[in-house]
Amino acid sequence: MIALMHVAKTFGARLILRDCTAEFNEGTVSLLTGENGAGKSTLLRIIAGLSQPSSGHISFAPEDPSIGFLGHQTFLYPALTALENLAFWQKAHGLPADESTLLGMLEHVNLARHAHERAGVFSRGMAQRLSLARVLLQRPDVLLLDEPGTGLDQASQAMLEEEILKARKRGATIVCVSHNLERARALADCVWRIRDRRLELEEAGS
Amino acid sequence: MMRLALAMALKDVRLTLFRSAGLVQALLLGLLLVFMFSLSQKAGERVSAQTAATIFWLASSFCQVLVFNAVYAYEETAGQRLGLLLAPAPTAAVWLGKAMAGFVLVFLSQLVFLPATAVFLAQEPSHCLAEGLAMLVLADTGLAALGSLLGALAQGQAARESLLSLLVFPLLVPLLLSAISVFAAVFGDAAPDGVASWLGFAGAFDAIFLGAGLLLFRFIYTGEE
Repeated sequence: MIALMHVAKTFGARLILRDCTAEFNEGTVSLLTGENGAGKSTLLRIIAGLSQPSSGHISFAPEDPSIGFLGHQTFLYPALTALENLAFWQKAHGLPADESTLLGMLEHVNLARHAHERAGVFSRGMAQRLSLARVLLQRPDVLLLDEPGTGLDQASQAMLEEEILKARKRGATIVCVSHNLERARALADCVWRIRDRRLELEEAGS
Repeated sequence: MMRLALAMALKDVRLTLFRSAGLVQALLLGLLLVFMFSLSQKAGERVSAQTAATIFWLASSFCQVLVFNAVYAYEETAGQRLGLLLAPAPTAAVWLGKAMAGFVLVFLSQLVFLPATAVFLAQEPSHCLAEGLAMLVLADTGLAALGSLLGALAQGQAARESLLSLLVFPLLVPLLLSAISVFAAVFGDAAPDGVASWLGFAGAFDAIFLGAGLLLFRFIYTGEE
């Protein structure tokens, strides 16, 4: 579970978020919505620990969960091949990087044919699928998704949604930012909205 | 921590040596420096050992700046820095990995600079070889520790090349002074105050900046924009 308590964020004199209090439970998908520039991505970065809140705090139960992040930025090294990228990120997370596991995951995201090609030549959709493979291999306790469907075709979108549901089933806490509200709402257990810099529960889960 | 550091070092060395022109620029600049100084002498004239040692270490420190700019730039293309910060290892593992990669790359460059210095500046690196090797390791460790720490600081800045140079060179002076003194002895000059004291001085420099890297890196390398 992730608990946000009175979290606020300012950049210089500019207020981005104020008094955000929320709980995101294990085994649920929470959709985070709001206008452009509302602070959704900033909130995700704060949850991920990549940015410190100006006030308030965040707690995790259990403490120190593994966090997976899939967003606009793919974290891929363009000069490394698909296989080398996955191997590097596995090692960086202290996870096994045996080739058969990595090739199996590339097969799963339909990139096995491109395993030895450099990520720099991939289309946006292929790079996003490779980034998805990177996250899936980590099996994180907390999965943060910032517009994860960017560049994905219909089939890949469906695969992404299937993987989100699998992660939910194994008990991961999932927080997702998406502009494709229709598809995202169908997956979400609850919907939060950032309005006037505050976080409001728009639609509670059953 | 060591696992991430090793993975980082191997990845950076592979990217620099085999997947980009990372080291070419550093090598060319260093070689050009040595060659240009060789032109300052009249035919048959020999550059002093002290001058040759200075040129060798100047080439090495220019190489250090270019290497650390290159290895930190790898994490700035698609948010890789954020991915590293999400890894469970301490952030200092990134500093250590970059320092290890930088050490290898600067050392490889020196394998080119040293024969070039011998040939173009007419030097014979045949004295105090054990001390020279010890100084090479100590000075490269210092260059790596400091370069890795300040390389992170310069990233994301518009004028990162100039910023890194501005930060690095004043701090490098004590290390370069000791390295030049010992290498002047390697090239045949008598080392002022003996070689051992300069080795101790370089060791102390390393201890300070290795400690600083381990302690301070997490405050420098963050996900804040």
